[in-house]
Amino acid sequence: MAAAQLVDFFNKTITEHDKFVTEWKNESRGKVIGFLLTDVPEELIHAAGFFPYGICGSSSGQERVDAHLQNWACSLVRSSFALALQGKLDFLDGLIIPHTCDTTRMVSGIWKHASPLPFMENYLLPRQVDRPSARPYLVGELARLKERLEDYRGAAITDDEISNSISLYNSNRKLLRRIFSLHEQNPGCIGNRDLYALIRAGLIMPREILNDYLGQLVDALEKDGPSSSAANHTRLVISGSVCEPPEILDYLEHAGGTVVGDDLQNGWRYIEADVRETGDPLEALADYQINRIPFAGYDTVRNPRRQFLVHLAQKKQARGVIFLHLKNCEAENYDYYDNMQALKKMGIPTLRLETEFGGSSLGQLNTRVQAFMEMVGGAD
Amino acid sequence: MSRKNAFKTASLMKELMANYYTKGVEAKEKGVPVAWVTAVFPVELLYAAGLFPYYPENFGALAGARKVADKLSEVAESKGYFNDLCAYARCGIGDAYADEHPVGQIVQPDLLLCCNTQCGSLPKWFEVAGRFYNAPYFLLDSPQIVDEPDELCRRYFIAQLKEMVSFIEEVTGQPYNYDRLSAVLSLSNEACRLWNEILDLAALKPAPFGYFDACFHMAPIVTWRGTPEAVTYYRALKDELDERLKQGIYAIPDERYKIYFDHIPVWPRLRWFSDLFASHKALVVASQYTHSWAYSFDLNRPLESLAENYTEQFVNRGFDYRVQLKINFMEKYGVDGFVLFSNRSCKPNAFGLYDKRKIISQRTGLPGVVFDADMSDLRFFSEHRVRIHLESFFEQLS
Ligand code: SF4
Ligand code: SF4
Repeated sequence: MAAAQLVDFFNKTITEHDKFVTEWKNESRGKVIGFLLTDVPEELIHAAGFFPYGICGSSSGQERVDAHLQNWACSLVRSSFALALQGKLDFLDGLIIPHTCDTTRMVSGIWKHASPLPFMENYLLPRQVDRPSARPYLVGELARLKERLEDYRGAAITDDEISNSISLYNSNRKLLRRIFSLHEQNPGCIGNRDLYALIRAGLIMPREILNDYLGQLVDALEKDGPSSSAANHTRLVISGSVCEPPEILDYLEHAGGTVVGDDLQNGWRYIEADVRETGDPLEALADYQINRIPFAGYDTVRNPRRQFLVHLAQKKQARGVIFLHLKNCEAENYDYYDNMQALKKMGIPTLRLETEFGGSSLGQLNTRVQAFMEMVGGAD
Repeated sequence: MSRKNAFKTASLMKELMANYYTKGVEAKEKGVPVAWVTAVFPVELLYAAGLFPYYPENFGALAGARKVADKLSEVAESKGYFNDLCAYARCGIGDAYADEHPVGQIVQPDLLLCCNTQCGSLPKWFEVAGRFYNAPYFLLDSPQIVDEPDELCRRYFIAQLKEMVSFIEEVTGQPYNYDRLSAVLSLSNEACRLWNEILDLAALKPAPFGYFDACFHMAPIVTWRGTPEAVTYYRALKDELDERLKQGIYAIPDERYKIYFDHIPVWPRLRWFSDLFASHKALVVASQYTHSWAYSFDLNRPLESLAENYTEQFVNRGFDYRVQLKINFMEKYGVDGFVLFSNRSCKPNAFGLYDKRKIISQRTGLPGVVFDADMSDLRFFSEHRVRIHLESFFEQLS
């Protein structure tokens, strides 16, 4: 397939969010385990032979949530829960909720009562990673989760199975990183929005099939992707929890902007590193988690988020940093001012956009993006 | 709390609290390290080490009670902190940047020690403060106990307590004194025991003491737990209550109904709420909030016991445990209904209340209501709306 067709395929996958999972379920009679963002060890779900399905919000149906969850909860969680209440996640057999903030921590019990599933678990990741106590705890937590999956499967998950899943996921990540770097070198070959669509679609596709399509896309982009010189683009970094609404990426594109880095949960942060393929696989997963790109869940001493952002912007020679702030996301809000100040001190302009699943005013966002792009100088 | 019958002990408390704040200032002058801590935190470890623990949440509650939370918050908002963050944090951050300090300046930390059993706001706020005051920050991380306490989390917490003890040793430059800890823990046990005996008096009908009184008298159990002062204070309060019982002085003039209330009160409207309930002959008698300080430490296994007591608090528990805990309180205190406060500041305690109200009513047959407001910030308090909600609840009682 040509690059354009492949990109269409990924975008279509996002719209028809249950196509692959339903087909897979019909064929394999297997179980589907959903997970909320972020940081859930998908490799373990995959190793158990289950389909890991990444739930990532929706644009409608939030009014159904009002009876269960206040409208001052973040729209990522509200709109994800809305999908369940609308029956749009009926293919799920299970759900894993990571505890990254108060909202994820509290929604798990609500979800369990309002929309119960046979397998419901929490991923209790440590909220500090700087001290020695974190690692053995995390290895233990991964072992607990593995055991729960084994109970549900009715059989043990072998180390080989986990290692195979790790290497499959690593190859997913490698291919995605390759496409991110093609985009950076040649922004004309794949646009901002299409680039992030690959990750979003990947969350809801069988990862074996994903590899196949991503491989084809790499070939196509390397061979015959349309080109444009990177010099004509304004390089930008995005920071936030998730890439929402995706239209923002179009607006940036139209104004001559190319996203060359981010710390988004469904962006670069998701694919930046690989899990070690040697030694104990649970320890490898724990080390991967402990060394991830910083996010709003907690600030680390080794790699404070504000310094990480400054370094990223400098390394990528970005003209500016755009904060995508989901309304009512406390974690991001607590980080914002200090992150912005750190960038400002280094002369890096920033823009904060407050967004919401299903509620963002697109016209206004576009205007603000354009004004910012004019300010940072547009294309050279 | 009846205005006519002010507690004699109230003046003792004011004195104690004034002392507490003076001590904070003195600590600064004498070079005693001031450690910011959170309300549900093993503060016993600090008292034993001779550090001065300071509770910035109290500062937030005080700003709320004095009706200036919005003023301090606006300073934080001008920096880009949104008004949907916890108001305590907004007040603390606002005070850091403010030129005017309507409730006095927050005591600046030399170190920040945070336990996240309560919420995720405190660690994020403490991170911000650590950067602002350039002071080291230490998080005692407590994964939620979703169903039953487990060994993994317990071991993790104990390992962190040891890490914290080493951290304190570095700060003080002295080996940690476990004998002192034992003494502090037994003072804490005694204060908690007295506090809970006092709270239990609310089960009597009529009762000499209720939830709004508890909100007024709880500061020492939060801040002075582990010191002789807290014990002295609650002994005096207990004696006074026993005396009142003898004399037939009750919390409200003609108590007819007993009510369970969740969670934190609306600080700037404490009196308004207590009068409204009293005017319907209803006494709020229990809340998981005021009952949080019910620790019981085993002096023979101090760290293990600290870990169990602090991590197994309701604030660190899952949905079903919290429902059952509320029902247990309702049964123990023989309530006629329950009021749940969906506190915009406090997502970890507000989220889930809509479903919990239904479940509790189904299981107990009791009428219940949920109202929305903010514990400190009156910009999010509609007297009219809250009154309508509560009036319809009172109608269901009779
Ligand atoms: S971290 Fe923020 S965006 Fe993510 S679930 Fe929590 S509140 Fe929502
Ligand atoms: S009020 Fe709630 S959110 Fe605020 S500090 Fe207390 S527990 Fe945390």
